[in-house]
Amino acid sequence: MIALSDYLIVAAILFSISVAGIFLNRKNVLLLLMCVELMLLAVNINFIAFSHFLSDVNGQIFVFFILTVAAAEAAIGLAILVVLFRTRRTINVADLDALKG
Amino acid sequence: MQYDLISLQPVMPEIFMLGAACLVLVVDLFLTQRTRMWTYGLTLATLLGAIALTAWAAGPERQVLFDGSYVRDPVSDVLKIALLTITVFVMVYARDYLLQRGIYRGEFYTLALFASLGMMIMASAGNFLTVYLGLELLALSMYALVAFDRDSVKGSEAAMKYFVLGALASGLLLYGMSMLYGATGTLNLAAMSEVIAAGKAEETVLVFGLVFVVIGIAFKFGAVPFHMWVPDVYDGAPTAVTLFLGSAPKIAAFALAIRLLADGAGGLSAHWSDMLIILAVASLAIGNIVAIAQTNVKRMLAYSTISHVGFIFLGFVAADGRGYGAALFYTVVYALTAAGGFGLLTILSRKGVDAETLDDLKGLNDRSPWLAGMMLLILFSMAGVPPTVGFFAKLFVLDAVVQVDMVWLAIVAVFFSIIGAYYYLRAIKMMYFDKPIDDHPIVASVDSRVAMSVNGLAVLLLGIFPTALLQACRTAFGG
Amino acid sequence: MSFEKFLFYLFAVLLLGAAVMVITRRNPVHSVLFLVLAFFNAAGLWMLAEAEFLAIALVLVYVGAVMVLFLFVVMMLDINVAELRAGFVRSAPVALVVAVIMAAELVVVLGPARFGLDSYAAPDRHPADYNNTAELGLALFTQHIYAFEIAAVILLVGIVAAISLTLRRRPETKYLDPASQVGVKAKDRLKIVKMDPEENA
Repeated sequence: MIALSDYLIVAAILFSISVAGIFLNRKNVLLLLMCVELMLLAVNINFIAFSHFLSDVNGQIFVFFILTVAAAEAAIGLAILVVLFRTRRTINVADLDALKG
Repeated sequence: MQYDLISLQPVMPEIFMLGAACLVLVVDLFLTQRTRMWTYGLTLATLLGAIALTAWAAGPERQVLFDGSYVRDPVSDVLKIALLTITVFVMVYARDYLLQRGIYRGEFYTLALFASLGMMIMASAGNFLTVYLGLELLALSMYALVAFDRDSVKGSEAAMKYFVLGALASGLLLYGMSMLYGATGTLNLAAMSEVIAAGKAEETVLVFGLVFVVIGIAFKFGAVPFHMWVPDVYDGAPTAVTLFLGSAPKIAAFALAIRLLADGAGGLSAHWSDMLIILAVASLAIGNIVAIAQTNVKRMLAYSTISHVGFIFLGFVAADGRGYGAALFYTVVYALTAAGGFGLLTILSRKGVDAETLDDLKGLNDRSPWLAGMMLLILFSMAGVPPTVGFFAKLFVLDAVVQVDMVWLAIVAVFFSIIGAYYYLRAIKMMYFDKPIDDHPIVASVDSRVAMSVNGLAVLLLGIFPTALLQACRTAFGG
Repeated sequence: MSFEKFLFYLFAVLLLGAAVMVITRRNPVHSVLFLVLAFFNAAGLWMLAEAEFLAIALVLVYVGAVMVLFLFVVMMLDINVAELRAGFVRSAPVALVVAVIMAAELVVVLGPARFGLDSYAAPDRHPADYNNTAELGLALFTQHIYAFEIAAVILLVGIVAAISLTLRRRPETKYLDPASQVGVKAKDRLKIVKMDPEENA
């Protein structure tokens, strides 16, 4: 049988990969957005695993809402990215030097 | 539950707000640039209506609706009235600025109303789901508002930075929530605190989840070491948006912290208050010291915000009704003064010129003694000089900390506040004793002048008569 | 090893492998495609945990709409790939160390000692006529109706924000008006001219 810990460990490793991705790709906004998606996926796996093993549907409901919000968030994030690209012609964070950082 | 007008009374402010925001959205489509003042008027009417409805539904009892998703209690009443009132000030100050920049568009008001709705939802959240959705409603509207001036390079950069870090913070917060859900088996905050109190959940997992939740909250507040975004976003966003971002959302962040930490994880206060002590001391130190080195007013006020967040966390450290009451008082007072401070910057900005550096404050007294007087009160309040209300806010927080025998923490806070007073006083010196660099007359509409006067005098009057607001804040936590 | 366990490990390994590829690929288009692979495998895991509705929603809605939006933006923007990779090698060791330490800590807390089958027994499988969608729907429209309404508002904000940020009216752009296109009659465009027949010289 698959144990709850198996799911949680997969999610934990996925979470760590997404954090590593944020470190690796600090310069690339698109990759940062994808790392955030991976992080949310890890959270969702956690919720679904807990929901399954606690026999409680609320965890799945939470995932439903995270997916909804993540979709709206991706739309706004990409819109900001497009605006940024229009004004700067780059999405390289290293070139984003108008602010001191 | 029953769905009729009587049983929905507590949630009426939110329902009204949503309906009116949609109305503003639709009405604006039919307006031309000349008749767009209607959008502004309707927005103010909406906010005032929501304040009235909140006051109408207010009461000392705790009402729970929608299977625990929605909680109306004295805390939520105070939070909602405060954040809506401050949003009214923000809307009044913002109009001139938007008009001068040519970004006076209806979406600003629609998004601001939706952001306020998000804050209201957070203020009366009863489970993780509503906390999270309210937070995201606020955050998504804010990301768009920061990027609102589409031709501004700084604005879009700031929006991108804010977005990435905000999304990251939400991810961390959610990871923590998933752990707390797994450990306690419920999303409902009240049920969760019962499970924790009964000792049925494993403590290691709870604390583990709590770490992520606290990091998420610290990110949203902008506490050190999760403050990197604050100065950049404040600096990059259009001043009218910085004004909004720097004021009312602090009250929402307070709501986030009080709902998650006090309502949900109150049984773990021994653990989170230790974490908050570290965050508070670091914020007080970094915020006050780095602010001295700033020449840009927006960045200076950003670091000043960070140091004030440290004070708010100090109230939480006490982890009792007295401490929460003091923290609430501090948050409301800070939001009011921050609205005034940034509001003055929008008034000083002219077409094509943003008042951004400290030099823009020079000789303000020669240009407009009345505005300089109001700014003086606001800066005194931020520095904590009596008889302004900022002094009492600091005093009550320190009192709460001393009551729980953490005198050393109070001494640290006072020490850094004294360092902080230096840069507020430097700004005051520039206003009164330096020659103005910019000789243009200050153009401000009547309503923003009136709002500025009300704002400045409120800071003074609340300082002379702090009892009413303090009483509201204390009784909200049963103290 | 039971078949179920085999499937679990297959999906888990593919998921984590795809996630590693997402963060290390040179080309953002490849990253998006690996992200899609990761989502597919996650959907497989969710299916094993009997969250059928969400597994299908993840593939249909998330991969089908959100990831395609990502792909669209990646391809629309003219991105200089080489520029973006600067500093990648330099930060790789730090990232690796951070990830390994973090994963190790998380695994210690979440390992079998606390969340093994002994403390959390695997629940009985639902009967064949169990309807996950109905159960979710029931909870969604009764207990969580308030949250559902807020989610609707969030989507509305998403629409308003995305349009207000990116919609630009450019006077130089030429538009087609479908209504007037359809309304065109033959006599507006075609002129029949009577001519006298020409005589061959």
